[in-house]
Amino acid sequence: MVLIVNTTSDTSITDRIKEQAAAKGLEPDVVEAASLKISHCIGCNFCWMKTPGECSIKDDYEIILKKVIHADQLWVISDTALGFLDHKGKNIYDRILPIATMYLKFKGDQMRHVLRYDRKTDIGIIYRGEPDKEYLERWNIRATLNFDSKSLGVFSFDEVKEAVSCMC
Amino acid sequence: MHVLIINGSPRVKQFSNTDKILAKFTEGMCENGTTFEQYEVSDRKQWDDIRKAYYANSNILIALPLYVECIPGLLMEFLETLSPKNDGTRIAYILQSGFAEGVQLRCGEAYLEKLTGYLGCEYAGTLVKGDNFSIRFFEGAQQDRVTGPYTEMGREYAANAGFDTDKCRAFTGFEVMPAHLRLILKVVFRTVGRVMFKKIAVGWGCTKPLDYRPYQ
Repeated sequence: MVLIVNTTSDTSITDRIKEQAAAKGLEPDVVEAASLKISHCIGCNFCWMKTPGECSIKDDYEIILKKVIHADQLWVISDTALGFLDHKGKNIYDRILPIATMYLKFKGDQMRHVLRYDRKTDIGIIYRGEPDKEYLERWNIRATLNFDSKSLGVFSFDEVKEAVSCMC
Repeated sequence: MHVLIINGSPRVKQFSNTDKILAKFTEGMCENGTTFEQYEVSDRKQWDDIRKAYYANSNILIALPLYVECIPGLLMEFLETLSPKNDGTRIAYILQSGFAEGVQLRCGEAYLEKLTGYLGCEYAGTLVKGDNFSIRFFEGAQQDRVTGPYTEMGREYAANAGFDTDKCRAFTGFEVMPAHLRLILKVVFRTVGRVMFKKIAVGWGCTKPLDYRPYQ
C-alpha cells in the first residue's frame, strides 16, 4: 500500500499524484494532513516506556500512525523552510517514533531501536519550495535507517512524475 | 561575554535532559564572568521574549536533542518565525542524543551549520555528544556522571566563544563503537538491557510488554 501524507495546503498536488498513479494501476491512500490537528513530538517517551506503541498526544496523528504500519511506502509532501522540511513535514517524521520499541540492537556498526512491527515502510519526500536538496536526500537516507527501511528519494513539486515512477 | 541560551528541546524543562546538560555547562561557562539568559522553546509563552533576545544578542547558544537525525519539529516551528540577522551574530550549538556514537549526530550537525547561514549568522561550532538518554532516569551522583563533563565544555566555550577546538571535538568520543564493545552490548541489549528497561517501564506505570503492538 502507498500512503501519501500531504502537509501542505495545496491539494492539487495529491490530485496530480492520484491521476498519475492511477495510470500505473495504483490507488494511493491519501491523507490531507493540513486540515488535521497534528502536534509536534514532545519527547515524553511514553510510546516506548509507558503506553508501548501508543502516542500520549491524542490528536489526528493516530490516523496516520495506524496507516503507516500497513504501508509499504510513505510519501511525505511538505513545504520547506530554512533549507529543510518545514515543521509540519518534520512533525510527521518525529511522531513516527511509536513504530520503534525501546529495545536496542546493532545494525551494522550503529545502534538502532528494534522495530515494533514486521512491515518496513520506505519513505519518500515531495517538497514545495527551495530546500537544500542534497542535504534533504542525505537526511532522508539517515532518517529511514531508523525504520529499517530505505529512502525513496526527494522530489520537487515539479518532479511528481519521477516520484510516481518510484511508487509501487 | 553575555550569551543567549535557547533550550530547543520540546520536552518541558522539568524533564529536559538538555536542561540538565545546560545546568552543568553554564556552571563552567560562568566561572570567569560570562553571563547568560536562558529560554525554553517548549514553553510557547516565552517565544516573544526569545525572539526579542535573538535580535538583541550577538552570542547565541542553541542546545537541542537530536530528533530523527535533525532538529525537533517544535524548534523548527520557532526558528521559522525568525528573520536573518546579517550582523555578525555568532551561533553555537550543543547537539545531544540518546544513541552513543558520534556518527549518529553528524547529519544533524551538518544541518546546524547550514541553518546558521539561513539565519544570517556566523557558525561558532557544535558540541556533539551522545549517550544522554539515561539522564532522565538518574538523579544525584549518577546523573552528575553523565552531565558533569559538560562543565569543562562550558569553560571551553567561554574561553573561545565557540566549540571550534580540539578539546570540544574530542568530547564526542568514539564515532562508532569498537567491535568488541558492540559484541558485549549486543548481549547486554538482549538480556540485562531488556530487564532494565522493563523495570523502568513498570516504574512509569506501564502494564504492557514494551514490544506490544496496539494497532495489529
